[in-house]
Amino acid sequence: MLIRLAWRSIWRNRRRTIITVTSIGFGLAIAIFFICLAEGVYAQLVRDGVRLQSGHITLEHPEYRNAPAIDLFLDRPDSLRAEINTFSDVALTKLVILGQGVAKTGTGSVGVAVMGVEPSVEVLLSPIIKTIISGRYLVDSDNSKIVIGSKLAKRLHLKEGKKLVLTTNDITGALTEDLCRVAGIFETGSEEIDGYIVHAPIRFLRALYNMPEGSATQLGIVLSAPESQNKIKKRVEALIINKHITAYPWQEILPELASYIKLDRGSNLIFQAILIFLILFTIFNTIFMSVLERNREFAMLLAIGTHPALLKYQLLLESFFIGLIGCCAGLIFGGTASYALQAKGFDLANLYTAEGASISGVVLSSVIHARVTPMILLGTSGIVLAATLLLSMVSMKRIDTIQITDTLR
Amino acid sequence: MNPIVKLQGITKDYGQGDIIVHALRGIDITINPGDFTAMAGPSGSGKSTLLNIISGLDRPTSGTVEIENLTINTMSRTELSRLRRDRIGLIFQSYNLIPVLTALENTEYILMLKGMPVKERQDIVRELLKEVGLEGMENRFPRELSGGQQQRVAIARAIASEPALVLADEPTANVDSKTASGLLDLMERLNKEKKITFLFSTHDKNVMARADKLLWLKDGKINDYRTA
Ligand SMILES: Nc1ncnc2c1ncn2[C@@H]1O[C@H](COP(=O)(O)OP(=O)(O)OP(=O)(O)O)[C@@H](O)[C@H]1O
Ligand SMILES: [Mg+2]
Repeated sequence: MLIRLAWRSIWRNRRRTIITVTSIGFGLAIAIFFICLAEGVYAQLVRDGVRLQSGHITLEHPEYRNAPAIDLFLDRPDSLRAEINTFSDVALTKLVILGQGVAKTGTGSVGVAVMGVEPSVEVLLSPIIKTIISGRYLVDSDNSKIVIGSKLAKRLHLKEGKKLVLTTNDITGALTEDLCRVAGIFETGSEEIDGYIVHAPIRFLRALYNMPEGSATQLGIVLSAPESQNKIKKRVEALIINKHITAYPWQEILPELASYIKLDRGSNLIFQAILIFLILFTIFNTIFMSVLERNREFAMLLAIGTHPALLKYQLLLESFFIGLIGCCAGLIFGGTASYALQAKGFDLANLYTAEGASISGVVLSSVIHARVTPMILLGTSGIVLAATLLLSMVSMKRIDTIQITDTLR
Repeated sequence: MNPIVKLQGITKDYGQGDIIVHALRGIDITINPGDFTAMAGPSGSGKSTLLNIISGLDRPTSGTVEIENLTINTMSRTELSRLRRDRIGLIFQSYNLIPVLTALENTEYILMLKGMPVKERQDIVRELLKEVGLEGMENRFPRELSGGQQQRVAIARAIASEPALVLADEPTANVDSKTASGLLDLMERLNKEKKITFLFSTHDKNVMARADKLLWLKDGKINDYRTA
């Protein structure tokens, strides 16, 4: 009966309730949408970033991070790699050599970051592949072929099929160089990547650097389920316990990206908080008004022997209903919109010509996808609902101040 | 016979300092089971104040109030609230019903407060509504009922918990004289048939004439007390 009473009571002022419910729904929908959007962009950045680099988890020589040197390599991590490959949630493992060098042509010479890759693995995951603008990416049978970025190509006047000399120091420190040919040119839009990164077959670099067969500076683990990163890292750490290898999460490999996400999330949080605050204000206003309006009715109910707690409970139910309907509306609209953006994606190039914004060398794709998780949906609506109930308690206080005889006079 | 209401030396002052209103200046009355008493008097003579003191909604400045031999002066708000719920039916001039509840639900409300199971209380209420002449109107909302019909629902609710006493402050003030006479018929019948004790205030000569006992208040004192 109280439930019926509460439910009907909120529809007494139909217009006000509809406005309130709509504003809750609208505010919540916006909050959900923007959170999902931001999370989608973060997820994409991380996804691309770890694929560009050495995975969600990177295994390397314990001293490499502090002083990256080619002689701090992992010697034949094959059996370790094979074992990790059997883990569920592991999509791929990749062996890479990250070294430095100088690319020289008749035009000049430029310092480059050389990344030795396994072409058949890289092809499956590197965001670079999609950005090849001329020629082709590497294949396993390539030997002295490399892929370079458009900025570097411009600087050295290189085209597909042209030759250059790669000069570097090998693991003993001796100067070494080799001639190679440009297989393809990529353009990611990132100054850093297009002007600085060079992909070469790992075999070719091992020879150049004089590294043993099967070795690499990094063993990268790309996960199919990024959320199991910590779990997998623990399992991997158990495997390498006596091996003089350290496992790093991507957050330490791409610290700029990690802190960017953290910061951006934080500033978004302020926006969400303001939005939710505004929603709560309308809710509070509605509940409070509805109590004031019913002063006489409540006085009458108290007079005939209704316990004040029962009236408060009725108010709690009313607030709950208003909050619940609003949250449902918000979930439906916000969830649907976010889900559509997750499934379909949206090309920002439609709005403006995005000139390759990049964070940590990870290019922000112009096509953005949202990321909808139950956590976002339930978290936001849970906060709104809980706050609604909390706010209704303030209005309940009014019940205690009702002067029955004066009100009924 | 134990009286239902026993008032001794009731005074009630409103205000503080210089402007004190002496609303009641020493009232002694006894209401016995089965009484059908009207209270009359000029506006401001203290009728409402007296009714509020009897129902425990207001506390007297001095004097004692006994309801069924229990002194209520010292009772807490919660105890008084329960006393009204269980022992006293209240009827007001207006603002009597909850607009979003039907006639049946409005009457049922008081029984819900007592924690009576749904089936049982609905049976009781249907019977009661029939008794007050609202058969077939159980599911109407107050706005779908006339003023007189609304007061009938209020009467049904006031007697639903089988109280020892029904207090009504000008229950007929908002309806025309014909409707008023109908409501009086109903109250009278409930008094005679169900032995329900009524105490009501009124300005209406016709209503006064229907009472078995008439209390005349003036300036906070009992000016006249008649039994028909
Ligand atoms: N809360 C209050 N504060 C101050 N004075 C009050 C208060 N309530 C009642 N009074 C005064 O007490 C006196 C008695 O009022 P009461 O309402 O009991 O009269 P009444 O007989 O019911 O009048 P009416 O016939 O107009 O309803 C009046 O003078 C009134 O102004
Ligand atoms: Mg009065």
